[in-house]
Amino acid sequence: MIKIKDVSMKFNLGIEKNNSLKSTIINIISLKNKKKSEDFWALKNITFNIEKGEVVGIIGSNGAGKSTLLKVVSGVMKPTKGSVEVNGVISPMIELGAGFDPELTARENIYLNGAILGYSKKFLEEKFDDIVEFSELKDFLDAPVKNFSSGMTAKLAFSIATVVNPEILIVDEILSVGDIKFQEKSKNKMMSMIKGGTTVLYVSHSLSSIEELCDKVIWIEKGELVKIGKAKDICKNYYEYQLKNN
Amino acid sequence: MIKNIFLNLKKYTFLMTQLISRDFKIKYKRSVLGVLWSLLYPLLMMCVMALIFTNVFRFDMEGVNYLVYLMTGLVIWNYFNEATQIGMSSILSNFSLINKVYIPKYIFPLAKCLFVGINFLLSLIPLMLIVIFSGNISEGTKCYINIYYLILPFVFLCVLMFTLGLSYILSTLAVFLRDTIYIYGILLTIWNYFTPLFYSIEILPKWLSTILKFNPLYIYINSIREIIIFSRMPSPLMLIACFISGFVTLLFGIIVFKKNQNKFINYV
Repeated sequence: MIKIKDVSMKFNLGIEKNNSLKSTIINIISLKNKKKSEDFWALKNITFNIEKGEVVGIIGSNGAGKSTLLKVVSGVMKPTKGSVEVNGVISPMIELGAGFDPELTARENIYLNGAILGYSKKFLEEKFDDIVEFSELKDFLDAPVKNFSSGMTAKLAFSIATVVNPEILIVDEILSVGDIKFQEKSKNKMMSMIKGGTTVLYVSHSLSSIEELCDKVIWIEKGELVKIGKAKDICKNYYEYQLKNN
Repeated sequence: MIKNIFLNLKKYTFLMTQLISRDFKIKYKRSVLGVLWSLLYPLLMMCVMALIFTNVFRFDMEGVNYLVYLMTGLVIWNYFNEATQIGMSSILSNFSLINKVYIPKYIFPLAKCLFVGINFLLSLIPLMLIVIFSGNISEGTKCYINIYYLILPFVFLCVLMFTLGLSYILSTLAVFLRDTIYIYGILLTIWNYFTPLFYSIEILPKWLSTILKFNPLYIYINSIREIIIFSRMPSPLMLIACFISGFVTLLFGIIVFKKNQNKFINYV
């Protein structure tokens, strides 16, 4: 279902200084080329396969490359090297509410965000009530999202993102959305998706939720794949590694 | 390949309409008159321009309806001016989206050019009012709606292609070099004066007017003036020039954009 082969992703950390005319000219004139030393490999030769229906957790320290990996899988980024092959409809929940416009009302944002996630107009019209009901925001439909609390925004975003039954679900640390009641609800929703045969890629720092949900875990550190295997074993190894490094 | 392009466009039509309607909603949020401004604004602007250029700076043109002459130029120029500027920063301003969800990036400049295009179409209404009500039969400055109006959509399409192509190039440049935004602002001012909006190309020295004839905006505006003011068919050469300048710019823009779009994410 997902085939990642020898994927490497390069970032140029020096780029930030480099996009004004002045510095570009200076760079061209000065013969010193520091660019090489500023290359940063966020991912190095990552290879793995994920079969249909698998629930795979991704763990690693902050800055290990987890989010970059998700972005490569979801197509937001093209890898510098290697190939990514994905068969199936992806629903990316990398950052909830990325497409929200604070000035628009919740109602308008449901359509805008739905369109950004690739839903059709017909689908959205059919599912509109479901989204509203799940989000528990019926009374605030015509209020602009900028007046929402962060929890409300997240609830709305989660409801829009999960109204489809995607073949592949990419989740980046979002099950901690909203109040406890909503957390339970969103967890159940995800469980039912998993039971329905959705392939899931799940990034989290919560080892307990990873162990609970995932069959397989990929552990990456500094852009490199450390280990891949059964959830329980990898989580244990990872936990020990984290403690040792403290 | 062409089939692919159309399938892709069809798939993202809904997103595009959503992006355009977002722009509309935001533009008129909290204004009392709301969308009515889309009509009022160009109308009032035209009134101001008409007052200034017919009373203060008057460039006399024998047998030409000066008001219509001025407005046809302005309508096209305003579209081009606004669309390329918004199109240029469309990638930068939508970066938070591009960084998180996969959306084909070409949609953003396109949505902006179409959004301004709607405003452009609305501004044709006051223009038509001017065409109908201005002019004097005895001076020969009366304009008539004629059969050649059927050619106008073709010219507008060429303007759109040209604007869109340039927006693709500019938005690519702006990602890599923020200075583009300022440099282009200055270029636009120069370009504005070198496009015969309120003067006739004939008052210029020969060498300059020859160069000006290669200004695509002059070609578009001139074709439209031929139709609206003189009720004439623009020469075939002119129409071909319209098409080629628009098409080549668009093609070039798409190539530049496509080649660089995967690198955007590292630069914004």
